Amino acid sequence: MDTAHLVDLLLAVGMVVLALQVVSERAVLRSIILFVVFGLVMALAWTRLQAPDLALAEAAIGAGVTGALMMMAWRRLLIINPDQPADTPRGRSRVAVPVALLAAALVATIGLSALNIDPHANGAGLIALDELTDTSLGNPVTGVLLLFRNLDTLLEMAVLLIALLGARAVSTPAHPNEAAVVETSAPLVGALLAILVPLSILIATHLLLAGTNEPGGAFQAGAVLAAGGVALVLTARLQPGERPGVVTQLAVTAGLLAFVGIGVGIMAFGEKLLVLPGTWAIYVIETAMMVSIGLTLALLFAGAPALVGRPK
Amino acid sequence: MIAELLAGLVFIPLGATLLVLLLPRQARGYLCFTAVLALPLCLMPLTQAVWADGEITLALAEFTPPLGIVWRLDGLALIMLWLTAIVAVPVSLHALTSFPPGEQTGRGFWPLWLMLLAGINALFLSADLFNLYVTLEMITLAGVAMLGIGGNALALKAAMRYLLLGLLASLLYLLAVGLIYGQTGALDIYLVGERLETDRLAATALVLMITGLLVKSAIFPMHVWLPAAHGNAPGPVSAILSGLVVKVSLYMLIRIWFWMAGDWELPAAATALGLLGAGAILYGSLAALIQPRLKMVIAYSTVAQLGYVMLLFPLASINAFHAASYQLLAHGLAKAAMFLAAANILWSIGTDRLHALTDLNRKLPVDLFALALAAVSIMGLPPSGGFLAKWLLLEAAWQQGAWGWLILISIGSLLSAAYLFRVIALTCFHPERRHVPTRWQSPPSSASIAALVLALLAIAAGFTSAPILGLIDDSLPPGGIWP
Amino acid sequence: MTEILFVLAASVVFGIGVWGLLIAEHLLRKLLALNVMSSSVFIIMLVVAGGGPDGPDPVAQALILTGIVIAVAATAFALALMVSIYRKTGRASITEKGDDDR
Repeated sequence: MDTAHLVDLLLAVGMVVLALQVVSERAVLRSIILFVVFGLVMALAWTRLQAPDLALAEAAIGAGVTGALMMMAWRRLLIINPDQPADTPRGRSRVAVPVALLAAALVATIGLSALNIDPHANGAGLIALDELTDTSLGNPVTGVLLLFRNLDTLLEMAVLLIALLGARAVSTPAHPNEAAVVETSAPLVGALLAILVPLSILIATHLLLAGTNEPGGAFQAGAVLAAGGVALVLTARLQPGERPGVVTQLAVTAGLLAFVGIGVGIMAFGEKLLVLPGTWAIYVIETAMMVSIGLTLALLFAGAPALVGRPK
Repeated sequence: MIAELLAGLVFIPLGATLLVLLLPRQARGYLCFTAVLALPLCLMPLTQAVWADGEITLALAEFTPPLGIVWRLDGLALIMLWLTAIVAVPVSLHALTSFPPGEQTGRGFWPLWLMLLAGINALFLSADLFNLYVTLEMITLAGVAMLGIGGNALALKAAMRYLLLGLLASLLYLLAVGLIYGQTGALDIYLVGERLETDRLAATALVLMITGLLVKSAIFPMHVWLPAAHGNAPGPVSAILSGLVVKVSLYMLIRIWFWMAGDWELPAAATALGLLGAGAILYGSLAALIQPRLKMVIAYSTVAQLGYVMLLFPLASINAFHAASYQLLAHGLAKAAMFLAAANILWSIGTDRLHALTDLNRKLPVDLFALALAAVSIMGLPPSGGFLAKWLLLEAAWQQGAWGWLILISIGSLLSAAYLFRVIALTCFHPERRHVPTRWQSPPSSASIAALVLALLAIAAGFTSAPILGLIDDSLPPGGIWP
Repeated sequence: MTEILFVLAASVVFGIGVWGLLIAEHLLRKLLALNVMSSSVFIIMLVVAGGGPDGPDPVAQALILTGIVIAVAATAFALALMVSIYRKTGRASITEKGDDDR
């Protein structure tokens, strides 16, 4: 067995062991932390499968943002009631083990038998690579997302906006305990933020620009931007606001506004629906999407309709 | 022009959502309602076009399958889009008073409602397995969120159960899409139908897909999430969920079964789906009979009524196809009417417990009339859309000598009559058990009119069968046997 | 070889997710289990789509990327719903009898 296969084996075993720990760990917080680790192992698995775009997305979104959202939700429960019962998975369900074994066996069977099938000679993937040569893009995944199947991406932005609108709509009045603000005034925090936040903007911009030719794109960039926002929320530099102002609303809808504006507006110029007029349009849409994704995720993290600066 | 109108169906409500979020409060109500009114206006010329030339297709971004996504508008899709538009207008009229756009609840409701409409229209137009997944997620998330508006604890918990099951169902569907894509390199339903070889792997993928969609459509025994959700949702949201949202995944199921797997010859699976329908009809009706609350009766009635659509799979004839489409349409209209009427009753007297609903024929004559008219259609009494649907279904069963299904349909109709007469009788004919309501306010007249309009449409659907059935005849599946 | 290994691992992870979903009572745990399951589905989707010398099928990658974003959106919304339920009922679980009736 060579090194590459050894790495694969370690990753596969790591995935299984971590997944098992995530669902069976006694303390919820530990489960969440293990889930983040699981996500990072997944990201490594994606690189082994030669899918760096997915590795970035998994690390930034799957592990990073999802983990942060879960931890924040857990923290909210703790603030409302500091004495959370030690909630162990109860294992009372008798069908759980047989059903789980059956599910695993089923997925393994179909997964392995699907492996033996050669890709269709006229499959979408090959056509995408072929069509890519007619565009200025170098990354086929970006090509599929922004050009060839851009309706999926547009509606996916709609899903993200719905999640934010939904979270606003179902939120009940906050529990009095939740008003407790954690004020961090440690001297190093300010200095750290002064590096961290510009860095996240820098990395996000790089991911966005690189995404046209190399791994990366608006989603990964948006998640990194959200991480900067998360840091500001955690250190109370940004605080939950009551009402979203025009700037907030404009920022969370920017991605869809740009996408719909260009993709549908183009019909007025005699082009077909969702045909993008050039590389500039891709950049405009991706930038707007990055801003929307970043702010939407940060707002969902903060659990608030808006974010405002710390009162001076 | 056709392309612009198709775009309008999705991007008018979607664009309106964005504007609603950006505009000042005063302008919102008009904007929302105008956006909804634009939908039937888009559909009228599209209907003429489908009538004249048959199916309309539009390759988005000018990329055709297998790579690109195509919108296809045929008769069946058109009927579902009309159902959406026709239900949306009165429901929005109702929501203008029950969720005032300027107030807290309205701020939650309207953007989600418009997004939901965009998602539903995009789903009916789409013929791409993955694009259908994205639109279905839009619909599920928006629907669940609307259910939680107002923060009623029961509704919130029902929303969570709906969401968790919905997410699980989506995963099964997505896994199946991945398997099918791996085999065919395509996602367009028609193209996949041509390319997919009928082997065990494809059959497993189909089963996974169907299971996911059955959960989303709340088909017995995967209905567990529906009654609490539809029965506890705020006013017009129940109408939207029961009238439109559950139909969406059922429509996908029909599309995938007959358009993608049309020539697969799966009699055992078809019978199994029919039996699930039978279970839904019997269980839903019996459960509706014993519910103590009006909205729970109506919710269980949805479980039962969806069962009739499932009989399409074993019967699989032109008549059955007519019947199933008509059932989707008629049930959508009647059920939305019932839930709006129930919302008005709940709003007036603060409860929908059946024993408290006495003497309503004098207090709320319009709402009760709407409830009764809608009940006529649900029971399948002539003349109504529901009658036509059940009649066509009986005819389909009769033609094939399918006595079992024939008896089932008859029993189902009797049971629906039983649980609905119970409601009507309790609301009208017990003056001696006069209940003094703790509160009373008369519902806004526009809310009552909204319920009545929908109920009248459910009845009127019984008279307009020829053009509707003609549309279906023009859009029968490519594969399969259609006697 | 790599593919077979990852398909097997993903299948086991899928089963673990199903198990976790069934035994979990706390809503956070149910969401964790669902997220674990979706990761395994994504792996299977990529591997069965095949690919060429330049890497896996780009369309499958795009679908998975879309799936990842939808999963995080749904999770974020579900967490907001969970916090609301907790504020209302003091419990982060929905498994109890008698929910249908007021």
